[in-house]
Amino acid sequence: MELLRASTSDDVEGTPLAGGTEVVPLLRAGLLTADTLVDIRGVVPRGIDGGRIGAGATLAELECDPEVPEALREACRLAASPQLRGMGTLAGNLLQATRCWYWRLDWPCRLHGGDECFARDGEHREHAIFANGYCASAHPSDVAAALLALDATVHTNRRELRLAELYRLPDEADRRTTTLEPGELILELDVPPADRSVYLKAMDRKRWSFPIVGVAAARRCDETRIALAGAAPIPWLLAGGLESATPLPGNAYKVEVATTLVNRAVAALNVV
Amino acid sequence: MARLIRTEKEVEGRYEEVWLVVEEDALEQWPAGPREIVGRPAIRLDGVERARGQAVYTADLKLPGMLHAAVLRSPYPRARVTKLDLAPALALPGVHAAIGPDELEQLSNDCEYEGAAIAAVCADTLAQSRTALRAIIVDYEVLDPLLDPDEAVARGALLGEPRARERGDYQRGLAEADVVVEAEYRTQVVLHNSMETHQSVVEWVGDSVEVHISTQYIWGIRDAVADGLGLPGDKVRVICHYMGGGFGSKNSPDDYTFIAAELAKRTARPVKCALTRREENTAAGNRNATIQRLTVGARSDGTLTALGGEFVNAVGWSGWSSSTEGPMQMLYACDNVKTTTYGAKLNLPPMKAFRAPGFVEGTFGLEALLDELAAKLDLDPLELRRRNHSEHATEGAEYSDKNLLECYRRAEPHWERRHEVRARSTETVKRGVGMASQIWYGGGGPPSYAWVRVGSDGRATVVTAMQDIGTGTRTAMAQIAAEELGIPLEDVTVSLGDSARGPFASISAGSSTTPSMGPAVRAAAADARRQIEEIAGQRELSPNTPLAEVVSVLEDAQILGKGARGPNPTGMQVLTFGVQVAEVAVDVQTGEVWVERIAAVHDVGRVINPLGASSQIEGGIIQGIGHTLSEERLHDPKTGRLLTTTLDAYKLPTIADVPEIVSELVDIPDAHLTNLGSKGLGEPPIIPTAAAIANAIRDATGADVRQLPITREEMLRALREAKERERHGAPAGVD
Repeated sequence: MELLRASTSDDVEGTPLAGGTEVVPLLRAGLLTADTLVDIRGVVPRGIDGGRIGAGATLAELECDPEVPEALREACRLAASPQLRGMGTLAGNLLQATRCWYWRLDWPCRLHGGDECFARDGEHREHAIFANGYCASAHPSDVAAALLALDATVHTNRRELRLAELYRLPDEADRRTTTLEPGELILELDVPPADRSVYLKAMDRKRWSFPIVGVAAARRCDETRIALAGAAPIPWLLAGGLESATPLPGNAYKVEVATTLVNRAVAALNVV
Repeated sequence: MARLIRTEKEVEGRYEEVWLVVEEDALEQWPAGPREIVGRPAIRLDGVERARGQAVYTADLKLPGMLHAAVLRSPYPRARVTKLDLAPALALPGVHAAIGPDELEQLSNDCEYEGAAIAAVCADTLAQSRTALRAIIVDYEVLDPLLDPDEAVARGALLGEPRARERGDYQRGLAEADVVVEAEYRTQVVLHNSMETHQSVVEWVGDSVEVHISTQYIWGIRDAVADGLGLPGDKVRVICHYMGGGFGSKNSPDDYTFIAAELAKRTARPVKCALTRREENTAAGNRNATIQRLTVGARSDGTLTALGGEFVNAVGWSGWSSSTEGPMQMLYACDNVKTTTYGAKLNLPPMKAFRAPGFVEGTFGLEALLDELAAKLDLDPLELRRRNHSEHATEGAEYSDKNLLECYRRAEPHWERRHEVRARSTETVKRGVGMASQIWYGGGGPPSYAWVRVGSDGRATVVTAMQDIGTGTRTAMAQIAAEELGIPLEDVTVSLGDSARGPFASISAGSSTTPSMGPAVRAAAADARRQIEEIAGQRELSPNTPLAEVVSVLEDAQILGKGARGPNPTGMQVLTFGVQVAEVAVDVQTGEVWVERIAAVHDVGRVINPLGASSQIEGGIIQGIGHTLSEERLHDPKTGRLLTTTLDAYKLPTIADVPEIVSELVDIPDAHLTNLGSKGLGEPPIIPTAAAIANAIRDATGADVRQLPITREEMLRALREAKERERHGAPAGVD
């Protein structure tokens, strides 16, 4: 395996590496294979300028910047551990893979191209309560839920897209969960200002835990957007209510937890 | 004078009779209370080295020419290897040797649990050996595993005979009861997850073998390795200067040591075989799951008339069926007690001792049941326990000492806080206080030996082939020697961790190191002191002459004192007692539970180092909080394959989960026990934590949690159940 340093963001060939908090464990576990790692830290912007945030900003930088909307700051603060937040980048966090233990242990599941979701009939207390018919994996990014609620725009080296368009549900024809093409890099995000935003997170312990469920809510004039982390194979924009959830036998508790957190988030948005 | 005696020895609640040679144990105990050095807080002698990373652990060892082994382990709970070809692995660069099932007893084609060792390779680097592992060609015939403990019991797939124990007349006791409470409790599999994974570095030196190993028992490793390799004991040297956690799981050499020994022999190079974190979560042992179907009968005043339980230990493929019924048999004065314990043999990784095996699980069930009874009788839980306090041993020999009532008395101010704690509840966050009692062994025993060497510089060295497993025993032994010799603590060093240097020392398990080793160290120091006093007499020095001055004429000559651990008091059982009071908060809408404060009061005889003791209590409670709230090894229900093999999936508590911990020690020397009156404290602090938390949850919410860990789903289920009950008009605690 060789390590290159990217000199331009135009055409990165190889596996991009920034903070390494996700890529390195995946390589070690054999879930990602790469001949070439490309250090992209020199070509991906890192600064925070109002609503424009460099994709290379670390979670640690975001969590303490007063210009960053509260939902995003709080999502960063409640993610991972201080050490991981010091290395992990914004874009890397958005592109992290599921924590589904079947996927992480390389079971031949649908996300890995197989023809079975082992979690649906197996151990799934951490798994999805929405869009879980094909694959019950849960998307673990707190940050993605916050940016989805804030309706962020993503700028890559090739195009501009809304955050929701960065993700896709896996299906029989295509098992990917993002729409990013090979060589495409996220460079910056535009986060439009919100009147108010919050992020609430339920975890199995106080810190360093992926969300059982995370609830991001943002209010802009009369519009309120609510997005969930840990609730579907991709960051989930809550259209209707939690009534439309389709929990599995072992994770119905997540609906109860999510319902409470959504109510609390909405209440927090409306506190004068 | 040396005496040959036959005495009883207890480790982890299991007794055996042993012959041993002891020196006269003639020293009077020191008076109770802090001495010059013993009984006063001392910082760890090796604390700075550890904090600076200078302490060399087995994991840090890099011997010249050392090779790295990797082990092919079964990915299936039950499978037969039908084809195995090591040749492709051997052909890879850097690979020196590979061994398979026919070449070592610890390797097998018949895999009866995930993680069973099949083959091993060694290479110049760990990366090369792990690459070589993937090159091995292996085919499995996957077989149906037995995973359900109740099914195993029904089928008679058991480890050992079921253990049936009854005293009095259980049925009559139930008939005499005014109220009967029945409940089923379940505890999960938890993992030790030592920071330093299980590992050995083995090197052959001529016809001898040197084993560097992360272990709780260097002498036991010496014997087991000698036995396994067919060598005389003195051809095996075992070294462990620093240890990164064991908690009961590092008492034996295990497969990795024998794999390293065989590969070292074949390559004539030192070989390190270290478990990866994933292997540590698979093949390093565990606290097995239990199912406890319990019944308590009581009169309306709270007097227990009957206690009964069916206990199923989901042992795994091997190990033993630990004493989950122990607390029910031993903790309370109840005339009629009947228990049956089954050890289910399953296709799951073998259990190993884990910090008070059986009693942690059994105390959760029993003490939660007692509080369900208290709720039903509308009795104060502390009062209920006092009413059923057993002044005399419930069975067998009398207690050597017992100060549980004193623990209760000291717990009162913490218990009284419950009114104020409850008052801080809000509509969504309920607060409450719960308590649980603790009973356990911890008396240690012989044989254990120590030497104390005093040089002409007046400095002393304690020499013994014991180990400090991270508990601070190095410091405690130095305190005892310094106290007895009358010299400053900084003038004592401790030489341990090497079976070739110093006499036999006991295992560091079963809360036994301080009570086993401490008396031997004191006896050795006293022997040296007597010799020094004789020299002072011959030099016609006053009896108050400082030790350094007395021995200053010795030049290179040294005084050597020898000491042995005497027997435990005959006709008595040596036990430890305690109580913990937990304050918790429950978010009744999200099921989140967090612990805000735990007060612990333990009775372990004389305390040698109060600072080390409070660290032990804090460590036990933190590990107990993980056991109670977040840790669980999960397996796929269909295939039995393990799912939580990394530290993000297996959730140990973080520092943010640690509450305020208040630790108190009764600190009354056990007058019958050795020249110190000290018992062990390694295990007691983890025993009552789960039940105290569960009982605090009931106090806060009225909900009966009956399953560990108390996850969101278990908490929300218990809250729903409590609400249902309320709707039907029954008070809390009624089924």
